[in-house]
Amino acid sequence: MEKKIYYLLFIAFFALLLPAGHLMGWVSINTISLWGRYFCFAIAALGIDLIWGYTGILSMCQAFFFCLGSYGIAMHMLLKTSGSALPEFMVWNKVESLPFFWVPFQSFGLTLVLCLVIPSLLAFVIGYVLFRSRIKGVYMAIITQALALAMWLLFLRNETGLGGTNGLTDFKTLLGLPLSNTYVKLGLYLMSLLLLCVAYFACYQITHSKFGKVLQAIRDSESRVSFTAYKVMDYKLAVFVVAALLAAIGGMLYAPQTGIITPGRMDVKASVEMVMWVALGGRGKLKGAVAGALLVNFLYSICTSLFPDSWLYILGFLFVITVLFFDKGFVGLMDNLTKRKEPCY
Amino acid sequence: MKNMLIAALVLWTQWAMAATDSTTIFVSQILHDSEKTYAIQQLVARQDPQTFALLNAINNKKLYLFNNEAVTTGEKNGTSSYEIYSLYPKNELLVNKNGQPLHTSIDALTVVEISRADRLLLNGILPILELFSPEPAKRMLAYGQLKDSHAPHRIEMLQVALARETNTDALRAGKDILYAIQLNTTTDAQTAKRYIDSLAENWGDNAPVFLSAYAKSKKPFADYAGQKASSLERKYDYLQKVQNLFSGLSLGSILILIALGLSIVYGLAGIINMAHGEFLMIGAYTTYCIQTLFTEVLKVPYTDLLFIISLPLSFLVAGLLGLLLERLVVRHLYARPLESLLATWGVSLILIQTARSLFGDLTAVKTPAFLSGGLAVSPHLVLPYNRIFIIGLTALIVLLTYLMLYKTRIGLQIRAVTQNRNMSACLGIDTKKVAALTFFFGSGLAGIAGCAMTLIGNVVPDMGQTYIVDSFLVVVTGGVGKIVGTIVSGLGIGFFTKILEAFFQAVYGKVCILLFIMLFMQYKPKGLFPYKGRLAED
Repeated sequence: MEKKIYYLLFIAFFALLLPAGHLMGWVSINTISLWGRYFCFAIAALGIDLIWGYTGILSMCQAFFFCLGSYGIAMHMLLKTSGSALPEFMVWNKVESLPFFWVPFQSFGLTLVLCLVIPSLLAFVIGYVLFRSRIKGVYMAIITQALALAMWLLFLRNETGLGGTNGLTDFKTLLGLPLSNTYVKLGLYLMSLLLLCVAYFACYQITHSKFGKVLQAIRDSESRVSFTAYKVMDYKLAVFVVAALLAAIGGMLYAPQTGIITPGRMDVKASVEMVMWVALGGRGKLKGAVAGALLVNFLYSICTSLFPDSWLYILGFLFVITVLFFDKGFVGLMDNLTKRKEPCY
Repeated sequence: MKNMLIAALVLWTQWAMAATDSTTIFVSQILHDSEKTYAIQQLVARQDPQTFALLNAINNKKLYLFNNEAVTTGEKNGTSSYEIYSLYPKNELLVNKNGQPLHTSIDALTVVEISRADRLLLNGILPILELFSPEPAKRMLAYGQLKDSHAPHRIEMLQVALARETNTDALRAGKDILYAIQLNTTTDAQTAKRYIDSLAENWGDNAPVFLSAYAKSKKPFADYAGQKASSLERKYDYLQKVQNLFSGLSLGSILILIALGLSIVYGLAGIINMAHGEFLMIGAYTTYCIQTLFTEVLKVPYTDLLFIISLPLSFLVAGLLGLLLERLVVRHLYARPLESLLATWGVSLILIQTARSLFGDLTAVKTPAFLSGGLAVSPHLVLPYNRIFIIGLTALIVLLTYLMLYKTRIGLQIRAVTQNRNMSACLGIDTKKVAALTFFFGSGLAGIAGCAMTLIGNVVPDMGQTYIVDSFLVVVTGGVGKIVGTIVSGLGIGFFTKILEAFFQAVYGKVCILLFIMLFMQYKPKGLFPYKGRLAED
């Protein structure tokens, strides 16, 4: 029962106190939007925790799935903003007609479906190919990392029709609502929070189901699970797709709140950082993933404004220290501190 | 052909002798009188090649007086002194009493002011003027611009310019144009054939274009020109393939150089060293520091020796820093590859940021003189010496690594620990010491790779990141901890990348390589040369 208080506190603070603070004029709308973005990251982090913390598969291309969601929704918003004309960056790149893969993004419903279907489908194909040949551990990490690199390079090109280095930006409306409006921003923030809670609840159900137990068994000893006639590959594939889906959902909420999406969000560095949120927060614990994503990004915002040059130092040291000394992450550390007084067996 | 050029030159000299006197007067008017328009007009009308250097200087706003003589500035020497060229009647580099080039500061020269209106008078003959420009690149451009010209006078000028041409590339480009013009204007069938032969033999950049254009006409020997054009293109394609293979070899050897250390360290200690690329960066910066230290601080004149001593030193510096990293961080992470991946990634962030705050964003190392330029197998196939050097260096290092691993006691221990850590420890091998030594060696190899990389690119803080993912792919494809695997997959990935780049663009080539590797792993999930038997177990 005691734990539930923390959840209630969390929800009360972010769902009531922060918006109320804004309405009273204490908290600026930019801060609200910032936290909204952190929630998007936290949703993606939940996916990483499922696949890495619970199943032990280190996937380094979650940032790519995140960006797929972002790009999808950004394409839709850009098309709505430019109306019947072509988006501006296409005019600069001398593209005369809308590329075929942009056409379905005219409709909002189809966009939503595609934003979820494309990453899942890709994850399914990639996962199928990788897990079928029993690629795991380091091999998996390196290959997914190379995949992220290749996709990043593809998205950087102008001729792939996705805005190249500059990415997609300058979208004004979503479903006819102006994105610059304060209440729309607040709405998006609350939407992100709601989805984070839903995702958390869903992940909680998953990890506490039989399915989740099998995942943890795979993490601890894959060969034993397969000896007991579980189809390891199916479980891995399923969790890989779920993780990609969560990343894409995070990405979809991220683009309208940030107002820009560039390939920089999906390079190798971004992918490793996403994994690092979970490691810092505490992997194998859903709380850890959320806490890690929120903490690191909050720290990032503070540090880059206070001492801009030293952020990479701080992040680097955090990486090293967490891995060396706090294997269980922030949440594990907290648990250790509170459990000190209990007797050890 | 040569005879014709010489005849043209002789004719021009005779005609020039008669006109020299009045030309001299006009030149002196330009230099000393206030009214220059008429003199410039006259010189432009005469188009005397002897005055072109002077007119060029006017056009470039670099006409000066020095000891009452018309001069222009050449190469900059130091901060504010220049080499000086006389312009008229002779166009040559001025030397001092010892025969060394004379260096003068710009203040010692008197500027000859030419109004803009007067300079514009030169516009009409600019295409010809450029033929006599002191820079080969400009001359080549000027030759190219005469492509469609049919005025006999311009062809004459082109011949005069070619007779004076000293640069081989420019000479080939110029002859290319000259033959093409002559081929298109000649009416005699046999002469046309001779020009076709000359064009093919000279093999300038545009020769296939000219020949195939001629082949489309209804003129005599059109088919012959067509054959020549396609034969030139075939030869060119063939040389392109050789060039591609060579670039593949060079890329492959860089990958091998980086992946070798990675592979040994991962095989032995189960460490994914994401900071490996940063040891490459450290090696490059060591080279840069040695060069700066000797040339800027100790004021020793630059010699190629500095690069040679940088090679072992960058091995040492990178190796020692690697040892430090091993002692501080990595030794806690043995046999925990995924954790080591994250921790060393953190280290790499710190190292990159340190390099950035120490050295700034972009620095470069001077390439040694003996490695600049290239081996010109033919005009269209040049193999750069620096690439050849890197290939040779890689071969040497692979050989040394092989000898170290298979012919020395420490190598034997490294192999033993790689195969079975616990058993080796039982047999009295100090596995911690072996692991530390291996890490030193692996990081040192990356340092040498970094030193070699300064030959082909700038030194930037995140230079290691460019290659790290690729070299991990090499390790994974080759099979972890196997020298042979690293070599084969490094060369394979290098060749495939370059071959695919020839078909697609670089990026798509990379995507293709990745897909290919993923498919390959379907059949060989443990790489090309996996461990067999009991060693293969996780």
